[in-house]
Amino acid sequence: MTLILGLVIGMAFGAILQLGGASMYHKIMGSLLLKDMDIIKLILMGIAVGTVGIYALDLVDMANMSIKPTYVVGIIIAGLIFGVGFAVAGYCPGTCVVASAEGKTDAMVTVLGGLVGVLIYAIVYPAISGLIDVTNYGEVTVPSVFDINGLWIAIPFSAILFLLAFKVLKDRYE
Amino acid sequence: MYEEPVLSWKVAGLLLGLLLIVATALVKPLGVSTEYVVTDAIVLHKAAPNVAESNEYLNKYGEQQDWGIGYGWMLVLGMFVGGGLSAFITKRFRQRDKPSLPTMWRDEFGSSSPRRMMHAFAGGALLLFGARLAGGCTSGHMISGIAQLTIGSFIFGISIFASGIVTARMLYKRRLAS
Repeated sequence: MTLILGLVIGMAFGAILQLGGASMYHKIMGSLLLKDMDIIKLILMGIAVGTVGIYALDLVDMANMSIKPTYVVGIIIAGLIFGVGFAVAGYCPGTCVVASAEGKTDAMVTVLGGLVGVLIYAIVYPAISGLIDVTNYGEVTVPSVFDINGLWIAIPFSAILFLLAFKVLKDRYE
Repeated sequence: MYEEPVLSWKVAGLLLGLLLIVATALVKPLGVSTEYVVTDAIVLHKAAPNVAESNEYLNKYGEQQDWGIGYGWMLVLGMFVGGGLSAFITKRFRQRDKPSLPTMWRDEFGSSSPRRMMHAFAGGALLLFGARLAGGCTSGHMISGIAQLTIGSFIFGISIFASGIVTARMLYKRRLAS
C-alpha cells in the first residue's frame, strides 16, 4: 500500500515539476544567473504554503515531520559542493529524473553521475564522516530554539516569502 | 526567448506546497537523494555483495530495508512516470533539436554533445556527493526542510544558492558581458 502511495505522490511531484518548468535547463540556469526568477518563486511559494500547512497539521498532531540534524560546517561544505554541481549540470537530483522522462539525454547522464557521486561518497565516508559530528546541534528548528508553537513562526515566515515572491523578486531579461 | 513552462510559478508553487502538506500528513515530507543510495546499494548488493556489505555508508541504507525497494524509491519512480506523462500530454516530450543539448547551453558553448555530457555527468556526481554529505537535496533538505523550519536547511539553502550563483556566473561569463 505504501508503495502505491509513493508512486502516486511521486507522479504528482514529477508532473508539478515538469509543468512548472523546474526540469528545464534554461529555467534553472536563469535562476542561478538571477535573470529569470520563476523557479525561485516557485520554490518560495511551495515553502510558503507548505510551512503553514505542516505546522497546522502539527497542531492536531498529524504531521509526520522529518527534521534533519544541523551540523553547520558539514552542511555549508556540502551546500558549496552541491551548488557547483547545480550550476554545472543545470539540474538537481530530482529534476534530472523528471528531465530524463522528457527524453533529455543530458539529464539521464546527470542521474548516472549522481549514482557515481554516491559511490564516491560511500568510499570516502569513513574519512569525512567527522564533518557530521563537528558543530552538530541535532534536530533543531526555529520553533524549537524559541520554544514556541511552530505556527507563530510559520505564519509570519510564510508572509515574508509571499512578499518576496509577489513583490520583491523581478525578472531581469537582457 | 526560450520555451516557457505550461504552468505559472504561482500555480505550480501552490500545488507543490499542497502536495508537501499531503505527503507530510500521509507518510513524510518529500525527498529524493536518499534513493540514489538505495539504488546503488541494490545494484551493488547484486553485483558485488561483499563490497556492498562491508561499506559502512551503503550498509546504513541497504540492510535496514533488506536491500529492497520502499516508499521513497517508488516516489522517485513516480516522478519519472508523472513527469513523462505530463510532458507527453502537454507535447513537451523530446522537444529539443538534439536531445542532449539545451538551447541555452548551445547558444553559449556551441553544439558539442560530448562537452555537455561531461558537464552533466560531473555535475550529477557533485550534486549527489553534496546532497549525501548534507543529508538531503533541493527537495528533501531545502524545500521540505525549510518548510519544517529546520535551521540546517536554511543554511543548506543559502549555501547552495551562493555557490550555484557564483558558478553559473563563471560559466556564462560571455552572456553576462554582452
